[in-house]
Amino acid sequence: MRCLKRKLISPYIDGELNEDKRSLLEAHLNGCRECARELEELQKIHMLLAGAEPFEAPHGFSTRVLANIRSKGKRRSADFVHIFKILTEGFAVLLLIVAGVILGSFLSRNLVSEKGSIVASFSLEVFAPAPQDSVGGVYLAMTEAEHEK
Amino acid sequence: MNKASDLSLINKFKNGDTSVFEEILLTYQDKIYNLCHRMLGSSHDAEDATQDVFLKAYQNLNKFKPDSSLYTWLFRIAVNTCIDYKRKPFLESLFKTSKEGDVFVVDRPADSPNPDRLYESKQINDAIQLALSRLSAKLRVVIVLKEIEGLSYDEIAEVLDVSMGTVKSRIFRAREEMKEPLEKFREQK
Repeated sequence: MRCLKRKLISPYIDGELNEDKRSLLEAHLNGCRECARELEELQKIHMLLAGAEPFEAPHGFSTRVLANIRSKGKRRSADFVHIFKILTEGFAVLLLIVAGVILGSFLSRNLVSEKGSIVASFSLEVFAPAPQDSVGGVYLAMTEAEHEK
Repeated sequence: MNKASDLSLINKFKNGDTSVFEEILLTYQDKIYNLCHRMLGSSHDAEDATQDVFLKAYQNLNKFKPDSSLYTWLFRIAVNTCIDYKRKPFLESLFKTSKEGDVFVVDRPADSPNPDRLYESKQINDAIQLALSRLSAKLRVVIVLKEIEGLSYDEIAEVLDVSMGTVKSRIFRAREEMKEPLEKFREQK
């Protein structure tokens, strides 16, 4: 079974143990070979990592970030204009549809008779009378006969 | 990392002087880039992620609350960005060879012209990256914040929004898991 004090070694290396626990562990390390070996191994890892060369941002990085921020800002305002245009166009289309519906209902109220049949607003009477023996004349005579029934 | 000067910059930014963001960027870009590089493993991904971090920071700086410090706030954005970044390449990974993710491009340190020193530094960095790449994201982030960025347990808990006990146990587990690959590296030297 592994020593339970082993878990204290990591915070000990990091200086995160309080005074009491530190003294307790230091006394323990004198007599526990397993913990002493663990301390040695973890210290090696700690030294290796702490000594690693830090990566530095590449040359011109800040210029690129600032340019990116500026272009995003411009793009955002361009997006706003684009959205505004779409909304305006949409509104105009909606307005046309509403106007069409209103006009349509107004016209249909005037064009539809009480019985519901459509009055021939563009009556054939507006045209010059067709000769009696022509096809048009025969058709008109038939239509009138139908209406009289 | 001076909290008073950071707060003064943030107040200027909130009052409309967005030009101060450049100072914030220049102060923290290396730290954030280093964190992203250690988390993601390649300089290309690190640069993309760091760009994202500062873009998000710029867009959200007006919402910054002074009860936390600017660098823990930036680290939090960076950690979340890197975790999201890791999730993203799922489709890309389908087109990669399995070992491709383990190949790390190590940037040439700026002030070390000695080739032996460069070679040793590269070897150490490669070994560290390899050991880090074997950890889960949760363990990797705590060990990077602790060992590479030098944050205290308290600060790590704040960045990750977890308890001190969680930080302590994750660091312990991360070190345990890093033992083997780093031991192999030391044996090879």
